[in-house]
Amino acid sequence: MLQKFLDLPLRIKFILSFLLVIGAGGLISLFLGTRLEHRTIMSLAEAKVRHDLVSAWNVYNEKINDIRDIVLLNSLRDSIQRALLARDRENLLRILSLIRREFKLDILSLTDEEGRVVLRTRNPEIYGDDLSSDPFIARALAGQVVGGTGIVRREILMKEGEDLASKAYLKFIPTPKAAPRPEDHEENGLMLMAASPLLNSQGKVIGVLYGGILLNRNYEIVDRVKDIVFKGEKYKGKEIGTVTIFQNDLRISTNVTDESGQRAIGTRASQEVVETVLKNGKPWIGRAFVVNHWYIAAYEPIKDLNNQIIGMLYVGMMEKPYIDLRNNVMLTFTGMAGLTSIILLLILSAVTSTIIKPLQGMVQATQRIAQGELNHRVAVDSRDEIGQLAESFNRMTENLKLANENLIQWSKTLERRVEERTRELKEMQDYLVQSEKLASLGKMAAGIAHEINNPLTSILINTHLLLEKLEKLDKKDEFYENLSLIAEETSRCTQIVRGLLEFARESKPQKTQTDINDLIERTVLLLENKASFQNIRIVKQLKPDLPLILLDRAKIQQVFWNFMINACEAMPHGGQLTITTDLSENKKAIEIRFIDTGVGIPPEHINKIFDPFFTTKPSGTGLGLAICYGIIQQHNGAIEVKSEPGRGTVFTLYLPLETKDITMKGGN
Amino acid sequence: MTATGKNKILVVDDEITVCKSIRQAILSEDYEVDMALSGEEALGKDKEKNYDLIITDLMMPGMSGLDLLKQIKASRPEAKVVMITGYPTIRTAVESIKMGAFDYIPKPFTPAELRALVSRAIKPQEAEAVSEAKAVETKIPAGYYYLLGHTWLKLEEGNQAKIGVMPDFLNSIGIITQLELPRIGDFISQGEVCAKITDADRFVHRVWSPATGRVIEINVNLLQDNSLLRRFPFEEGYLFRIEASRLEEDLQGLLLAK
Repeated sequence: MLQKFLDLPLRIKFILSFLLVIGAGGLISLFLGTRLEHRTIMSLAEAKVRHDLVSAWNVYNEKINDIRDIVLLNSLRDSIQRALLARDRENLLRILSLIRREFKLDILSLTDEEGRVVLRTRNPEIYGDDLSSDPFIARALAGQVVGGTGIVRREILMKEGEDLASKAYLKFIPTPKAAPRPEDHEENGLMLMAASPLLNSQGKVIGVLYGGILLNRNYEIVDRVKDIVFKGEKYKGKEIGTVTIFQNDLRISTNVTDESGQRAIGTRASQEVVETVLKNGKPWIGRAFVVNHWYIAAYEPIKDLNNQIIGMLYVGMMEKPYIDLRNNVMLTFTGMAGLTSIILLLILSAVTSTIIKPLQGMVQATQRIAQGELNHRVAVDSRDEIGQLAESFNRMTENLKLANENLIQWSKTLERRVEERTRELKEMQDYLVQSEKLASLGKMAAGIAHEINNPLTSILINTHLLLEKLEKLDKKDEFYENLSLIAEETSRCTQIVRGLLEFARESKPQKTQTDINDLIERTVLLLENKASFQNIRIVKQLKPDLPLILLDRAKIQQVFWNFMINACEAMPHGGQLTITTDLSENKKAIEIRFIDTGVGIPPEHINKIFDPFFTTKPSGTGLGLAICYGIIQQHNGAIEVKSEPGRGTVFTLYLPLETKDITMKGGN
Repeated sequence: MTATGKNKILVVDDEITVCKSIRQAILSEDYEVDMALSGEEALGKDKEKNYDLIITDLMMPGMSGLDLLKQIKASRPEAKVVMITGYPTIRTAVESIKMGAFDYIPKPFTPAELRALVSRAIKPQEAEAVSEAKAVETKIPAGYYYLLGHTWLKLEEGNQAKIGVMPDFLNSIGIITQLELPRIGDFISQGEVCAKITDADRFVHRVWSPATGRVIEINVNLLQDNSLLRRFPFEEGYLFRIEASRLEEDLQGLLLAK
């Protein structure tokens, strides 16, 4: 896994890392944000619903106060007091019915000073029954003006008006989450009531005027609250805010609607709410499943005059808009987060590109350089680390190029040196072959000389003795001639053996610092004294001030002498011998040339002239040039021959200024 | 000399044919020639006969020629010993002269060459009378190097040297009829022929060079008047001048006059 990540291109790694950071940050903030937002929205909603409940209570209590005011004001009216005292029911009915209709009360009735009903405006036929036990009536009889909510039992309702009883009657509609109840209907009613005593001039209670509004199926309060608080706001065709009045757990007045759009009276509150509000008397605020939707709801108990809980007032706001709002906010938030991420990614991508691009350039450059394009350079655009890297890289490449050029140069030099050394080796090999030839020849010569000397001595002596005898007999005949021939040839053998021995003789070269020009001059002087070469012109072209050179004077002179004699002998009819000296081209050797205008050497002989016993002269031993060759080798020098038959020969000697001491193997 | 008046000569060589050939070459009415095939045999014979001249090969199995020379010279210093040498042992031959050998002769040689040498070895005893020879100065000047009984060498500037013949060599020859000198430019080696002197008996005597080098000058006066040789053997009677090439080595084989 980690390895796979490490193997990814740098660009992807960058982006993945940033994505991880952005993603994690985004998710965490989204999570925290939504939670916070949810809680904020929900607590806002709850606060609002709490506030709305207060408003609802205001409307509710205002209504109670209205009723209270109505009964209070009318209880003070003289005409009513007088009619009561007079038990003028007709007049009372007329006055009070007018008031009840005017103020839209459901009931408005009058009792006497003992609490017996004198007149029910809604049902005048029934009167005389005792209501003194009713908490409202009882308090009013005691001189109090009271208002509040109370349960009105069915038999009372029946008396106040049959239609009220049937209005109050509600069959339970099965509701999910509701607490089970043994009954299946409600026949009592919940009423807003007020009672006020009628006082005579002495302040004595002469009767009680009470009135009320049955809340069952009465939607005035709830709709008014809704209008005031929610201003009729709707969400997708549904009221956002709902208000309900419960009688116990039963919805008796509400603007919560069911699926068919009907007000959902007859349905009941959930068990959870019942437990909190009805049983424990505490307000309940929170999410609640009302009929068939989730609401953010607030419930508070409705209490009667004896502080008994008889119902609940509920205000709820549909949760959906808040959820949607929350979702919208979340969506917006997420969208913005996403958008931010994308923008960040784009920026990141651009930044990464600016970082990666030179790196990629460098990677490409590395590859091109690896392929040998040493002139390739990385563009340096910035002064940051990457810029510095690119610069260092370029410097490195420059150095690499230089090193490479040096290497190429060096390898060329090496090649040249190898060639040189190969040539030198070849020369050395030739030299070794030649020296080996000479060395083995020397050994053989010594052996032969020793062995052949004894028989030669016998032959020579005996031949001569025979010759002497023939001479004494004065017989110079055929035998004598043949014997002479034997004697001559034996002498020649002697000469050859001597030559061989001279050739094979080992002697340490005695080297001294020598002026080559001086040595040439001396040798030429010797040559000029030889009468036999008088028709040969000797030309010297000697370079002055040549460095001294360490050599065996006698041996080198021997070589000069041999070349000069050879040159002169090559010009039997006269000619010119030119002797030149100079420094060699590389200044490491002295170059001596012997140029003659003689007969030249045939090409087929050129390679053999230094071989021992090779000779074209009838009387030569063929050792002269071989000995010269040996001497020059002893001086680490070289001999070069160029010849053109009929035009002449050039012998060039190279004598190195600094000599490595290679002693010649040879001799006996 | 024997009772018959003949000079007694012993030839020593490990090869019988060589011995015989040599004996044949020098055998004459004047010489009685014996042969020995080894140094040991030669010593035994010499004890018996006290030879006038012993001609011995230098290289022999067993007792070498040099050992033989030493032993004979130790018991009879007056005896004359001539060494026969091969060319490679020429330096040893030069050494042998220092040790008292009368002369040496390189193989191979002709009967004439051998006879010339033998005559020179035997001659002084009969040629005492040669008046000219008597006149020869025998004192060697100081600073002269010499090859005993043969030649001298006088160092000059550079590596040059003057070379001449020792008076006792001339004395052993007698009358000089002909003198042969090397040519300019010739390269001569120590112990090898550098000049030839012919005597009245037409014996050609070879003169050994005391040093190695190239001939750079000839004493041309000698060619006109060879009496200079005898009259001024260490001065005007010199033979030639060389440019020596192996002086240091060569001088070891020579004696220095004081």
